[in-house]
Amino acid sequence: MKIAVCIKQVPTREWQPRLDDSKTWIREADASFEMNEPDAYALEEALRLKEKHGGEVVVCSAGPARVAQVIREALARGADRAIHVEDDGLASADAFVTASALAAAMQDEKFDLVLTGLQSDDQGFAQVGVVLAEKLGTPHSTIIMEVHVEGSNLRVKRELEGGWFQWIAMPLPAVLTIQSGINQLRYATLKGIMAAKKKEIRKAAALAASAPKQKIVSLYVPEKGKKTQIISGSPAEAAKALVQKLRDEARVIQ
Amino acid sequence: MATLIFWLLFLSFVGAFAAQVATRVRLIAAAPSTFTFDDIGFRVRRCLADVLFQRKTIVERPVAGLAHAFVFWGFLVFAGYTSVEFLYGLGLVDLTETTWFHAYRMVIVPFATAVLVGILYLLVRRAFVRPVGLGTHVSAESIVIALFIATLMVTYLLTFRFEERTLAWAVNWWVHMLVILAFLALIPASKHFHLVVSPITVFLKSPELGNLPNLDFEKEQVGLETLKDVGSKIVLDAFTCVECGRCQVNCPAWGAGKELNPKTIVLQTQGALLAGQKDKKLGEIYSEQVLWQCTTCGACENQCPVGIEHLPILIGSRRGLVSNGDAPDYLGAMYNNLERRSNIWGLGYDQRTKFVQSAELETFDPAKHDVLIWLGCAGSFDADFQKSLRSLFSILRAKQVRFGVLAKERCNGDPAKRTGNEYMYQELANGNIEDLTRAGVKKIVTSCPHCVKTIGADYAKFGYTVEIVHSSVFVEELTRGLAAPAPAGTHAGEGRVTYHDPCYLGRYAGKTDEPRALLTRFGAEISEPERNRENPYCCGAGGGLLFADKEEEPGSRISDVRFKQLQATGANTVVTACPFCSIMLKGAQASAGADTQFVDLMTYVDGKLRTIA
Amino acid sequence: MILVIAEQKDGRLNRASWETIAGAQQLDPSAITVLVPGASAASVAAELAAANVSEVVTVEHAALNPYTPDGYTAALQDAIAQLGPTHVLLPHTYQTRDFAPKLAARLDRAIVTDVTAIKKSPSTGSGQADVAFVRPMFQGKLTADVVPQGPPPHFVTFQIGAYRVDQVAKGSSSAPVRALTVNVDASQVRQNPEAPFQQAKAAVDLSQAERIVSVGRGIKEQANIKIAEDLARALGAELAASRPICDSGWLPMERQVGSSGQTVAPKLYLALGISGAIQHLVGMKGSNTIVAINKDPDAPIFEIADYGIVGDLFEIVPAMIEALKQ
Repeated sequence: MKIAVCIKQVPTREWQPRLDDSKTWIREADASFEMNEPDAYALEEALRLKEKHGGEVVVCSAGPARVAQVIREALARGADRAIHVEDDGLASADAFVTASALAAAMQDEKFDLVLTGLQSDDQGFAQVGVVLAEKLGTPHSTIIMEVHVEGSNLRVKRELEGGWFQWIAMPLPAVLTIQSGINQLRYATLKGIMAAKKKEIRKAAALAASAPKQKIVSLYVPEKGKKTQIISGSPAEAAKALVQKLRDEARVIQ
Repeated sequence: MATLIFWLLFLSFVGAFAAQVATRVRLIAAAPSTFTFDDIGFRVRRCLADVLFQRKTIVERPVAGLAHAFVFWGFLVFAGYTSVEFLYGLGLVDLTETTWFHAYRMVIVPFATAVLVGILYLLVRRAFVRPVGLGTHVSAESIVIALFIATLMVTYLLTFRFEERTLAWAVNWWVHMLVILAFLALIPASKHFHLVVSPITVFLKSPELGNLPNLDFEKEQVGLETLKDVGSKIVLDAFTCVECGRCQVNCPAWGAGKELNPKTIVLQTQGALLAGQKDKKLGEIYSEQVLWQCTTCGACENQCPVGIEHLPILIGSRRGLVSNGDAPDYLGAMYNNLERRSNIWGLGYDQRTKFVQSAELETFDPAKHDVLIWLGCAGSFDADFQKSLRSLFSILRAKQVRFGVLAKERCNGDPAKRTGNEYMYQELANGNIEDLTRAGVKKIVTSCPHCVKTIGADYAKFGYTVEIVHSSVFVEELTRGLAAPAPAGTHAGEGRVTYHDPCYLGRYAGKTDEPRALLTRFGAEISEPERNRENPYCCGAGGGLLFADKEEEPGSRISDVRFKQLQATGANTVVTACPFCSIMLKGAQASAGADTQFVDLMTYVDGKLRTIA
Repeated sequence: MILVIAEQKDGRLNRASWETIAGAQQLDPSAITVLVPGASAASVAAELAAANVSEVVTVEHAALNPYTPDGYTAALQDAIAQLGPTHVLLPHTYQTRDFAPKLAARLDRAIVTDVTAIKKSPSTGSGQADVAFVRPMFQGKLTADVVPQGPPPHFVTFQIGAYRVDQVAKGSSSAPVRALTVNVDASQVRQNPEAPFQQAKAAVDLSQAERIVSVGRGIKEQANIKIAEDLARALGAELAASRPICDSGWLPMERQVGSSGQTVAPKLYLALGISGAIQHLVGMKGSNTIVAINKDPDAPIFEIADYGIVGDLFEIVPAMIEALKQ
């Protein structure tokens, strides 16, 4: 099976954001980067499918030169080779531009299956996987918990809201976006890290970038910080205030 | 004629001895060399103390140790006698009639008696009393050898009884010599091989407890995978084992009923080597799950009287497994946390930032500050332990010590190193070393003993040296001359506490007096638990076991066992000096539903200082 | 005209559709069409017609029942071509995430997802009356005002809860409802879905729970766990516990949260009588909203809680159950 995993390099979750001078993007020089966590689960799923069905896992990533860091991490975990669509402009590109760039580089490989995380930790649009499927002309499904390959067909378990699930069948080739936390991520072993140094990373030039579909006109820090609100008063008063806050402020109950 | 027969026997038995020794020497020589020779002075002093004066053997088991010492000293003293008799029997030279020999024979009579008493005591202990450390199976060979030694002493004493050159005398002589030859042939394949090798093993033992050289990635070293990867010191160790069981009975995992038994690990290594299984995976020889039950407390290695180093085998094997992706799941999650967040919890850095701000800590500046406070993982992220650090800050500020913290800390790498993930360890270590060097740090004070060991001793292997002390040592020095005795009207027993020595502070760093000095200085009455000072019973957090509760394991939790020992002292307050001891023991307390009070040493001291301020 | 795509299944409307209408009304209340796709759309359409909108349109087709991304994309592509809206608004549900980007890509149009608010006047002085859509970025650490580029229609999906159902303006009279025919080649649909099901819970799977009520040593006795159960039921939450509770056998091991138990990331984690030892914390730190109720004001759990009450849980929990009934 020829499996592609699309991964994104994002600023680390713990990084405190600093804005650039135009206040429309982050100051990248200050940030440290890591592999987008949902993509890590997609990679793990791909590696397990390869262990089961044989074949190869190809990591695909679009972005500036620094993206090589997460590509190497993926190779160290067991991916066989990589495709890097290199372009500085892709760092802040919207999902359409990213998906188009990836599709152009991936088209000729004729992958049987393309996996990616369900959204990225930085922009969080949750679009690239779906747009990629449209550009590659393959069927897709999202928020997938389990993947079963049966010959040239796929049977996947999709998560619905409220504790419901659904099995869906479709023919290969297909694109799936993978739910986080569905498997135990393997760590990069010493042998994997050593072997990764010798694996191929094919550079693909970004073709004439498609016109951006979104423009961030302003980026700013939201007012509400994460401070503990201690609710005082008698037990009855405090309980009532808490329920009200959970309903209207935090919006976690209805 | 008799001489000829004697020669034939001599050559056969000595030949048998030599052949068996040669096998073992070949195995040692075939292994990658891991012998170390640093600090010769220390090694020689230790050899004198532990080998010549039998210090380790006597201290932990006084009566048996002394009995063994008698046997050993008797052996040394008899060397001259045995040599003279052999020269006589081989017809080379006859010194048996000389005056000095006659005098010598008289002098060694009390030694012979001591040996006899000693060996009979040990024989009865091994065959009938059967303490658990000696194993459940009494080997025939050990009984035979004990009887041989007894026979040698009896036959020696009988030489005074018989008239020389009579038949009885001759029979007695032949029995004595044959027993020696038979003994000689039995030595290599029995635990008595330690007679030959243990002085060498003790000499070659590293001065540092738990000495684990860095893996060299340039040379593609990945740790120990199969038996042929095992280093020459480990092979030597495997043949030195006397099967005394000191490592076993002091092991906290074994004490909690788990499968891990350090003695078994050493003997399994020996068996596999002799069976020629050099391509067999270590994970199969020891059985993998056993390897993950070690907390790296070091009790085994510390107690061994013959110089065996258990940790290189255990952690070396872990390295081999981890390099191949065979670490247990809970460690995989921990490694991912270290990789993503540089801390074992996987918590976000804003937790640390919040603490630094609320405790009003300054960023370290060598021009302004005397010491760097290393917060560590627990100090950065565990709200419970941060209370102890606030106490430390309060003490330091009261004493006008100028201190700062690093802008960024990574985990020191101890959890990665002790579980065998060398790559992760070196990444973290190199990053920290760079930051520490750039910040111009000369002296570090920290409340985590694991940080003390790793930054102080392990980072030295990268060429980085810095002065790092545990907060108890620093504060002890700071508060010398102060006193806060219990206030008037206090009942006896109200100031009663028990102190749990952290393994990495008490055993690894040898700092057992300073915490106690602090406690007694401020009026505490310490009730010592059964395992303490340089030989505490581990809390169970080390070696990655902090996260290990997931699997269904045999036996109890190590922390539960230790908590019971602390409760048994009768003190209702437990003083801790390590964040992980605190986490584990408080967890054990919660599980036991007990209401024992826990207080960190720094909080205790800070509280007392305020009463005299 | 603003087109709102409602979500329904077998005649049951997803409440988030109302929220989307509220958003549409903020954008431009004068010209809103609501589209109801799928089988049995008529009753849902009648329900939605009560809102202050211009009209409600039903689109029924074999390719829309059951839901598939291929079917919805094809049908809505045709519907949009017929209706010609300037904006297409949807709620950011799992289903929307499954097909909306494909639909937008099919039409080569912009789509802005997970929007929490609409800004009519721009924050940068471009002078144009561009509408900006506000959305979280970088895990909520930053907020962005985004302007879709390119020709209309622009697609926008709203975060669940960004607007409230009670914000929807009702119409003085019911809006007209009509059926719209779409041309779809059903053989284009490549997905073959089976009927949805609820996970047969042989084992407790806290990792999927949306709300959790967790008990610690503060609960004192096994019998007291009942009040936690009552609260969980009132909240529609799962019950969980810290290690000592499971060690004592008061709750099964599957309900243990922590480094040696389950790792959970619900929307709401309510910790009753839990001190917050770090081994428990690492199991629930991913929770969206953490509430702590504990007698001890120094309990470490208050360091990471979003809301906290220092007090007696035996008085507070019953009061909460009462408040939830209202």
